[in-house]
Amino acid sequence: MKPKAVFAVVVASAGLVAACASSFPPPNDEWAAAQADVGRAQAGGAPSVPDARLHLQLAEEDLQKSKALIGDDNHRAATLTGVARAEAVLALSLAKEAEADGQARQAQADLAKASAK
Amino acid sequence: MNWNRFAVLAVPVTLVGVAACGGERIPPKALADARADYYQARDGVAARLDPTDVHEADIALQKAEHAWENAPDEPSTIDMAIIADRKALLARSVANTMKSQQDVQAASAQLEALKTQQLASAQGRLSSTQQALGATQMQLEQQQAAAALQAQQLKDLEAKLKDARDTIAKIASVKDDDRGMVITLQGEVLFKTAKFDLKAGGMAKLDQIADALKGKDAPIVVYGFTDSVGAHDMNMGLSQNRAQTVRDYLVSKGIPQDLVTAQGKGPDSPIADNTSIEGRAMNRRVEIVVSPKKI
Repeated sequence: MKPKAVFAVVVASAGLVAACASSFPPPNDEWAAAQADVGRAQAGGAPSVPDARLHLQLAEEDLQKSKALIGDDNHRAATLTGVARAEAVLALSLAKEAEADGQARQAQADLAKASAK
Repeated sequence: MNWNRFAVLAVPVTLVGVAACGGERIPPKALADARADYYQARDGVAARLDPTDVHEADIALQKAEHAWENAPDEPSTIDMAIIADRKALLARSVANTMKSQQDVQAASAQLEALKTQQLASAQGRLSSTQQALGATQMQLEQQQAAAALQAQQLKDLEAKLKDARDTIAKIASVKDDDRGMVITLQGEVLFKTAKFDLKAGGMAKLDQIADALKGKDAPIVVYGFTDSVGAHDMNMGLSQNRAQTVRDYLVSKGIPQDLVTAQGKGPDSPIADNTSIEGRAMNRRVEIVVSPKKI
């Protein structure tokens, strides 16, 4: 192959790659929503419940990774943002679950105490 | 080498090698976890309590399976498997929360019912106690009223007896001791020697005594006494007969018979020296004891 032809192929390939990267929009809105989910999990008691805290940390890490990828790999950034949202929502739910479980145990203890009278 | 044995070993090894190369690919751990957690959510309490999140987990798992089928080496495939897994865990967590909340409501309802029952029971006990207290108070009031009535009756009787005493003192010896008012009549006044039928003069005194004691409702005991002359048994019999004669006479004059009893004491309770005539005369006597305190 001649040098000109090789150059043309390289340029075309680079253009194609650039086209693919730019064809996926940056997940800015989704990222903001994920950040809000993380904030709700933090405020909802996740840091004080071990299981919830673990998923909250994963959400925060995924959120940072996705932020770093926006612009370079919007598709992966979007899926990582989705992971961050799923982790954050799960963290908040686990915190609520622990609280509800505590309330149920307390209610059972109160009932047992009253029954023993 | 035995070629038959070689063939036996070589065939399975070859088959395993073929299966490994051309068989089903082993899914990544994230996808395996997503499948397992989804099945638990689908088959557990989450399907009943939180079907919406179970459905979303199902959709997420299908996307992850599709990605694994079409682009197994893409990093986003793992991301989608993780998302599917977290949604399955979310469905289970939400269901667990709802279950706990239902448990709280059930326990609270039971607690409320129990408290209501305990309150009713306590109120029942309180009511019983109040009824018993009321009955006791009523009983106490009745006893107090009875005691007050009895005290008033005693006071009235003592007043009546005082009048009787003043009257009787004019015809007989009267004194008070721990038995009550004691009226002493000398034996000679009432009876002839060794006899127990009343003399006319004795009857006259007993008539006045009976009149004075009539209507007083006080218990009366008539005691007969002798001196120490003669056999003891004979004196005991004589004192009993004399006491009985006086008792019967008082009854005949209007003293209620159930209020009067008679008792012979013989020579055993002397009030004077039996060696002198005067002493023996004093010991031969009848005592009429009126006991208001025995009401």
